[in-house]
Amino acid sequence: MSATLGRIGAMASRVLVQLRHDRRQIGLSLVFPLIIIYFIKVLLDALAGPFFNPSVYVIPYGAFLVHFITFLVTAIVLVGERTQGTLDRMFISGYRRLEIISGYLLAYTVLSTLQSLLILVELNWLFSLEYSLAQFAAIYLIMWLLAVISMILGLLVSNFCRTVGQVLPFFPLILISMIVSGVIIPFDKLPDWTHVLSYISPLFYANEVLQELIKGSNLLDNWVMLVSLPLYGVILLMLSTLTLRELD
Amino acid sequence: MGGEVAVSVQGLKKSYGPIQALRGVDLRIESGQIFGLLGPNGAGKTTLIRLLIGSSKRDSGEVSVLGLDPAVEKWALRRAIGYMPQEPALYDDLSARENLTFFAQAHRRRDLAQRVEETLEFVGLSGRANDPLYKLSGGMVQRVSLACAIVHQPPVLFLDEPTTGIDPKLRESFWQHFRRLASEGRTILVSTHQMDEVMYCDRLAILQEGELLAVDTPRKLLWTGEAVITIGRGGQTREFEAHDYPRKLPEILRQYGLEAGIDRIEIEQATLEQVVLSIIAEHDRQKREEN
Repeated sequence: MSATLGRIGAMASRVLVQLRHDRRQIGLSLVFPLIIIYFIKVLLDALAGPFFNPSVYVIPYGAFLVHFITFLVTAIVLVGERTQGTLDRMFISGYRRLEIISGYLLAYTVLSTLQSLLILVELNWLFSLEYSLAQFAAIYLIMWLLAVISMILGLLVSNFCRTVGQVLPFFPLILISMIVSGVIIPFDKLPDWTHVLSYISPLFYANEVLQELIKGSNLLDNWVMLVSLPLYGVILLMLSTLTLRELD
Repeated sequence: MGGEVAVSVQGLKKSYGPIQALRGVDLRIESGQIFGLLGPNGAGKTTLIRLLIGSSKRDSGEVSVLGLDPAVEKWALRRAIGYMPQEPALYDDLSARENLTFFAQAHRRRDLAQRVEETLEFVGLSGRANDPLYKLSGGMVQRVSLACAIVHQPPVLFLDEPTTGIDPKLRESFWQHFRRLASEGRTILVSTHQMDEVMYCDRLAILQEGELLAVDTPRKLLWTGEAVITIGRGGQTREFEAHDYPRKLPEILRQYGLEAGIDRIEIEQATLEQVVLSIIAEHDRQKREEN
């Protein structure tokens, strides 16, 4: 057990050292979402009217940004490990599947924690959101959970890609996921047949909880969706671990 | 030939779809030997190595590395082997020391820091240990890759074309490293398609289209090639063509009655490259006849 924990620690520490050296990735993960949010503010200001309340939209939009960027970064980095042969070398050196995935998750969680926090701080600053501290903490928790799930989704997708180019076809799926999750169009206004797609998207579960929180409900009021989110993550983690190919 | 066996392979077969990468390979490598695996690109060298380290699943046959079956006892085996892939497979943005530490940490050794420093010293990179790999030359990166394979002091090493793309001087220093490792009792299986370096090996196998065509010491393989022996006597010369000339030469000399009049003997031995190419050509000819 201690050997496994040691190897997870070694993995996480190596990824963190690489992240520290990689300014582009830090920029993409931390600065890029902040710039997008600024332009969302510009767009929503242009659309502003007496019956339009932007605060209903901005938190789910922020959540989508976390989802999209975290997925993108994780999938590309992991495919890179495969194409460079380092993933194979890790296995042959004695690192196991769960240790590799856990190490990655641990390291990227540090980045996602910071990313979710910065996004929320900027949203609050630009849109003067009048939420209580408890509401902010609950919103932060959901965004953070979504970030972790997006990472696992990135890991899963990378298992089916041999080149970075093969990650590209998954981008439209993330955009479809945004549409069917209820972030842009409310879930009950979507055609019935698309509901099955909504249930596949992790953003749907996150959005359902976030919408309740925005309305002022308690975190536990929509407990079914709240529990669904980490459960979704665990299932995804199992799939991701099982599909991580080790043999030729 | 009675040494302890480190690697043993019997009837090993592996196919990728319709392509037969290995067609029933038998092999035996004794402990402390440098065993060369020589063959052109696509001969099956990498496939064989990957089956031996448990990174690929065999179709049939028996494999044992240090008494362990790679398909069954993969994790125990990986603690006991070192592997250097064809491409360096390292992290460009990390330093030599960081790369080495990361791969060494998989083995959970107590003397990890000491081993990392000693290995950097061994491959002559102590002075550049903190530079990121993208600042190092190709040869230095290859040395880091070798260091990652040996840092945990494995008794068996699998080196897949470790000297491809590096200059002759560095190549020689690599072989000095391999010799030192073998002198410490480590078994080394090294694949290559460079003829000039296989003379460093204790034993050599020629692999072609998934079949082992010959296994012997490099010197004995060399002797199987044709030699032209020229004997000079009183200003006259006569040429003889012979395979395995160390055996044939006494016979030829006996024809002359081993007389004192012989004043010159020249032996023009085929190069190892010519020998290997003729073995491969003979194999191809037999295949064509069978078909």
